[in-house]
Amino acid sequence: MEKHMAVCPYCGSGCKLNLLVENGKVVGAEPLNGLTNQGELCLKGLHGYDFINDTKILTPRIYHPMIRETKGAPLKRVSWDTALDFVAQKLTEIKEKYGPDSIMTTGSSRGAGNESNLAMQRFARACLGTNNIDNCART
Amino acid sequence: MSCGVPGMEDAGCLFLFGYNPADAHPIVARRILRAKEKGAKIIVADPRVIETARIADIYLPLKIGSNIAFLNAFANVIVSEGMADKKFIEEHTTGFDEWWETIKNYTPENTAEITGIDPEQMRAAARMYATAEPSSIICWGMGVCQHHQNVEAVHTCAAIACISGQIGKPNSGVAPVRGQNNVQGACDMGALPNYFPGYQSVTDPAIKQKFADAWGVPVEKLSDHVGYKVSDVPTLIEQGKLHAFYNFGEDPVQTEPDAKHLTEQLAKLDLFICQDIFMTQSAALADVVLPATSWGEHEGTFTACDRTFQYFSAAVPPKGECRHDWEIIADLSTRMGYPMHYENAQDIWDTELRAMWPKAAGATYERMQGTGYAQWPVPTEDHPGSPDLFLGGQFSTPDGKARLKAHDFDTPTEMPDDEYPLVLCTVREVGHYSCRSMTGNCRTLSLLADEPGEIHINPEDAAARGIRDGEIVRAFSRRGETMSRACVDERTDKGTVYMTYQWWVGKCNNLTLHVVDTKSHTPEDKYSACQVEAVADQVWAERHLQELYHELKDRLAAEASAQDAEPVMA
Repeated sequence: MEKHMAVCPYCGSGCKLNLLVENGKVVGAEPLNGLTNQGELCLKGLHGYDFINDTKILTPRIYHPMIRETKGAPLKRVSWDTALDFVAQKLTEIKEKYGPDSIMTTGSSRGAGNESNLAMQRFARACLGTNNIDNCART
Repeated sequence: MSCGVPGMEDAGCLFLFGYNPADAHPIVARRILRAKEKGAKIIVADPRVIETARIADIYLPLKIGSNIAFLNAFANVIVSEGMADKKFIEEHTTGFDEWWETIKNYTPENTAEITGIDPEQMRAAARMYATAEPSSIICWGMGVCQHHQNVEAVHTCAAIACISGQIGKPNSGVAPVRGQNNVQGACDMGALPNYFPGYQSVTDPAIKQKFADAWGVPVEKLSDHVGYKVSDVPTLIEQGKLHAFYNFGEDPVQTEPDAKHLTEQLAKLDLFICQDIFMTQSAALADVVLPATSWGEHEGTFTACDRTFQYFSAAVPPKGECRHDWEIIADLSTRMGYPMHYENAQDIWDTELRAMWPKAAGATYERMQGTGYAQWPVPTEDHPGSPDLFLGGQFSTPDGKARLKAHDFDTPTEMPDDEYPLVLCTVREVGHYSCRSMTGNCRTLSLLADEPGEIHINPEDAAARGIRDGEIVRAFSRRGETMSRACVDERTDKGTVYMTYQWWVGKCNNLTLHVVDTKSHTPEDKYSACQVEAVADQVWAERHLQELYHELKDRLAAEASAQDAEPVMA
């Protein structure tokens, strides 16, 4: 069994834990002696890990890029190149037609982490040219 | 938070105002228990008899929607009974006289009808808070922020801490305890329409120049004005101002108010992108679905509610074609003609944050290994980090002084009436989280609680409607309706019902009012007029619930099943 250090992805307490991994699958969580949690975890910290394994209890994980070629068309799996070229072309068109402030972006206050928020705000500001970036701090 | 979570247990008094730690942050709640064991006084002001109310020295069951009347009267007691810290006010604040012009008009006696609080109890609580040694902390949650007068309440809580001298020393001050694991981090990192990383203003020319230089773009290319807030997205689409929405790691269709209106507006976008780990209800509406790696599949850092940066590692490799969020964003930017390239998460952290925000400069990945951490401000690598802010009464204003602000009380936007006589207040529960895409896919957690969730209702309100505990009920408002399971609960105040926002069939956001305050644009999720009625045929109701649940899950699985086919040429 491998142990990998993590920080709980639920509330803002910042509890440190180990994810227990067996055969490439997360099979458990155990508390670490973190600043806030001091060797304890709550219900979600202890039992909130197996969504990673795509249990499909509620809704499936997504593993491949998908696009609707036209509005209302069914989703189609495409390559990353196709998906990102599609997005790049559409965003460029929208920016040219309606201006950078016609595009809204978000950060993520959840499992993505600080680094991806840094990347997104730079993308919004330096690439798109808008300060339209926000996160769900109000929810 | 002006203090650290661990320090809460060393305060002399914890005043919980609109904050339910046992449900929202169980591990913080444990600190509050320990504070009590160490002799701290606990004051709880909440419309419900929340768990912490049971251990409180004083419990104040204020009427929902009366926050400003309550806080003004509380502040008034501190001054009028001679408990104000005149030296602190003199040396570390400005605007006291003007502040008092408003506060003097509110007393526990003349606000008792609005707040529902016995004036003597209010006075006792104010004395307990203001005179506690060595410090007091005011803790709040969404019970302050998701009301119509939210910014006003934050101003008043901060003013109460200042005029009492209960801020500016260790383990004191204000503790708005952040809800989501990295909402502090998303804000710290500049995922805000008014700030670059580190709360550096987007309208300050020198700051703009600094970021333009670091990012290799002409300064004119950076926007010179504050951007939009995500709570305004449906309104902006309706006004024709927004044409594309790049939604990253959020499920607004579940978590934002007035879900029906939002869904209608999202359909009008020219381009709706969802970058997520699950086929959420929002992703199912998207024109483009981009699969990202999950927590557990990537490394990075989070910021806890008390400004603590902590590192987390990857436990398992990415699945399928999932890519790290920052890789997707950088790749897209490069394709749009603005090349972005990072070696790894640490490269982003060092170049985009530590190099750009002096208060985070000392937060190296090295010191965050294992159970290490760095609590900002942490300006240098040998700086110990800062559990407490504003020590010695030094505030982050240009003159270093706190500005006292007072506000008159105003009633909530949608008052109950004959047609919708109850107030709906949205709250949290222990076992499920936010939009539930994560916890709802966890075996143990989904066994402990499932659709349609619960609606907590006072026994008198339930009896008046012929509603029995455990039955399915219909709840409705001017926006829409939903079903839920009644929890007849004597700890719930009469006239208000409580629902958590995790449930997809029992969706409280079908009912919530989408009105935002003018300053922070936060929805008034704590106060929507509604009605609840019994459902006569419970056998039908249980079956109907299962049908709706299966339909929803089948629809999302069908949307996701497109990924099972081999890629097609677009």
